[in-house]
Amino acid sequence: MANKGWDEFEIGAMLRTFDGSIDDIAGTAQEDRSYSESSSYRASVADWRLEKPVFNKDYCIDCQFCWIYCPDVSIIARDKKMIGVDMDHCKGCGICVEVCPTNPKSLLMFTEQADEESEIASWPSKDEEK
Amino acid sequence: MSEIKKIKNLKEFSTSADRFEGANLLCPGCAHSIIVREVLNATNDDLILSASTGCLEVCTAVYPYTSWDASWIHIGFENGSTAVAGAESMYNALKTKGRLKQPDRNPKFVSFAGDGASYDIGFQWISGCMERGHNIMHVVLDNEVYANTGGQRSSSTPIGSSATTSPSGSHSYGEKKNKKDMMSIMAAHHIPYVAQVAPNKWKDMVKKIQKGFAVDGPVFINAVSPCTTEWKFDPKDTMYLTDLSTDSLVFPLYEIIDGKELNITYRPKNVVPVEEYLAAQGRFKHLFKDQYKHMIKEWQDRVDSNWAYLQRREEAKV
Amino acid sequence: MAFDKMELKDIEVWDGNFAAAQAMRQCQIDVVAAYPITPSTPIVEGYAKFQSDNFIEGEYVMVESEHAAMSACIGAAAAGGRVATATSSQGFALMVETLYQASGMRLPIVLNVVNRALAAPLNVNGDHSDMYLGRDSGWIQFDAYCPQDAYDLNFIAFKVSEDHDVRLPAMVHQDGFMTSHTAQGVHTLTDDQGYGFVGEYKPMNDMLDFEHPVTHGVQTEEDWHFEHKARQHNDLMTKVMPKIQTAFDEFEKLSGRKYNIVEKYDTEDADVAVVCLGTSVETAREVAKEMRAKGIKAGVVGIRVIRPFPFFEIQEALKDLKSIATLDRSNPNGAPGMLFNEVAGCLFNTDTKVLLSGKVYGLGGRDLTKAHLVELFTELQANVDAGKLTTPQQQFIGVRGPKLSFL
Repeated sequence: MANKGWDEFEIGAMLRTFDGSIDDIAGTAQEDRSYSESSSYRASVADWRLEKPVFNKDYCIDCQFCWIYCPDVSIIARDKKMIGVDMDHCKGCGICVEVCPTNPKSLLMFTEQADEESEIASWPSKDEEK
Repeated sequence: MSEIKKIKNLKEFSTSADRFEGANLLCPGCAHSIIVREVLNATNDDLILSASTGCLEVCTAVYPYTSWDASWIHIGFENGSTAVAGAESMYNALKTKGRLKQPDRNPKFVSFAGDGASYDIGFQWISGCMERGHNIMHVVLDNEVYANTGGQRSSSTPIGSSATTSPSGSHSYGEKKNKKDMMSIMAAHHIPYVAQVAPNKWKDMVKKIQKGFAVDGPVFINAVSPCTTEWKFDPKDTMYLTDLSTDSLVFPLYEIIDGKELNITYRPKNVVPVEEYLAAQGRFKHLFKDQYKHMIKEWQDRVDSNWAYLQRREEAKV
Repeated sequence: MAFDKMELKDIEVWDGNFAAAQAMRQCQIDVVAAYPITPSTPIVEGYAKFQSDNFIEGEYVMVESEHAAMSACIGAAAAGGRVATATSSQGFALMVETLYQASGMRLPIVLNVVNRALAAPLNVNGDHSDMYLGRDSGWIQFDAYCPQDAYDLNFIAFKVSEDHDVRLPAMVHQDGFMTSHTAQGVHTLTDDQGYGFVGEYKPMNDMLDFEHPVTHGVQTEEDWHFEHKARQHNDLMTKVMPKIQTAFDEFEKLSGRKYNIVEKYDTEDADVAVVCLGTSVETAREVAKEMRAKGIKAGVVGIRVIRPFPFFEIQEALKDLKSIATLDRSNPNGAPGMLFNEVAGCLFNTDTKVLLSGKVYGLGGRDLTKAHLVELFTELQANVDAGKLTTPQQQFIGVRGPKLSFL
């Protein structure tokens, strides 16, 4: 939001999450909600990351450990399936990779600049020691 | 009474539409938001929320952004519980008077606060809310330190921890007092439900939150919240630290019903030595020096003794 | 469960506390959260009894401190409904943190402040220390001089505070014991008239509107804080007084009782006057009349609205006077005194040549006697005759020991 003048915002520093009315928030997926410009959903913390998680769906078993333990609501799970990582909201903490139980892992950390496709192409194979 | 949300397994749980948003300003790997998500996702009912001043509050409502998809209020450091109790009172008044805009809802009133805002500065306000019987849930995000202001000790800071106002040094092992037993104090209010939870044991936690939402009256939840910044561990290890905290029994998971019936809800198959828990954190690093090593044994003894005490209470049903 | 209405006589004998409690009952408040403290305790006791006898339909929450009382009021007001409480002195001081929160969040709450001294030393009697402590808190502050005012101003406070163009909390002050515990005849409104005047509460940014979630009580740092505070000041300076005037006008139509932002008594042809607050206004009016019999053209200016401060109305009221004294009933602790400063601020940069002095009086419930005021008006006349101040600018009235004066 642009830095507005003193007469340009709602009194009391009150913020509204949504534009207009929303009937059933818990029953509405994020992509179907009309977030206002005041919702941090519309902001990005992508520039916090030094490393990013890359998701390889070939190994994913949709256990949803990454979904529940993600502090940043950045694991996109729909219809019980892991779909991917919300790269606007991911801060690159790496928890999803740590809790991923597959072998090899379905999520791995790479430098922010890494190319996703080539990293998936050269994904590590099964670690026999595990 | 509203229906309890059905959450058979994690896959089913993952169909929840979050009401807490990313791009908040919490540290990468912060357990606070993991706890908040598990609490909010435990119900589909409407929520009225508050946060006391602290990490969660300053990181989720910095103008012009909010990370909350339900109505939320912050007043001060000490009074988040009372803020939401006031809102609950208004709900009751408008319900009586038939003035609710959406009268068919079953809102849940939840107050989030850190250990400083609960064990220390907000203690009286919480006690007041519990005594008066408001239909609210107070959730402590217990990271055992004033993390928001840079790591000062609170009365939740455990013995031997190095905090900025109880630093370890050549003549000190750090914090001298052991953690306040807030669970017992809250249970002594004889409120319907008191529980200690940890976000790694999500099923146990969600079950307790749902129990808390289902009872009529005040609920106190103490949630262990490993702090990457002040406990000093790598952000990726938050869940590992949470596992250590529950499996070493430093944070035993149990509930107290009506102040009278204690149930242990999680018994680790393989109990981890407390030393492992301590060794994983920078705040206890100095305990591994020769001069303070005796503290590790004392820690283990204290945890064993507390576990034995909880088991005795459970067996005796008191 | 429906609540009962109460039949009142046209004139009831009520003290200020009971008058305030009755007004609160008639306004059909949704949530009262309160903690008792002398001398305001009978307000919350009276209200509690009304509830016990089914005259209240709203919630009444007896909390564990004044800080919690205002905290719960803030939560309740943000949830969306009519909210009020009462306090005094130390309790008010404990509330101060939350007073700023209430006004900064633009929540309409009515706070009855039964004025009492602040410790140390501990004292339960009336002075204006607590009132003055609240003067920078961003609240509207009304001042009652008697139980009738305390009753009437509660209705006006709700009306103004809850106006969507205002949305600022309001205090109704009355003097501890002198007003709060002194029974007088109070002209009443019927329950329907009283509630009809304030009207049904109209929610705004209410947390309980589940289809429009709101976030209240955000953090603003150097990039936003100043703008929000500036907005609040702007609204206090420009929007509140016209709404108060409208409310006063409407209330006069309803009750026949006329209130003014600044109350002027015998000032039209006056040479000398005192500017004061609370019960002292009534004492001063009586003495001023007596001074006129002695040939001194004396008047009294009572301030009805302390915040926002009525600069233009004060300028207008004082412009033709020759010598005035402000009466501050709070220890200035190293300054001239709030009323002196504000009045001086009004008059500075105007053409008036009025001589201004400030008096400190009545701390901890010390009486302001008629003899004190006779002496004061006489002194003001001496200033007129001499064409300059004949005394130090600041004097203490009624304190034992050597005369205490400064500046």
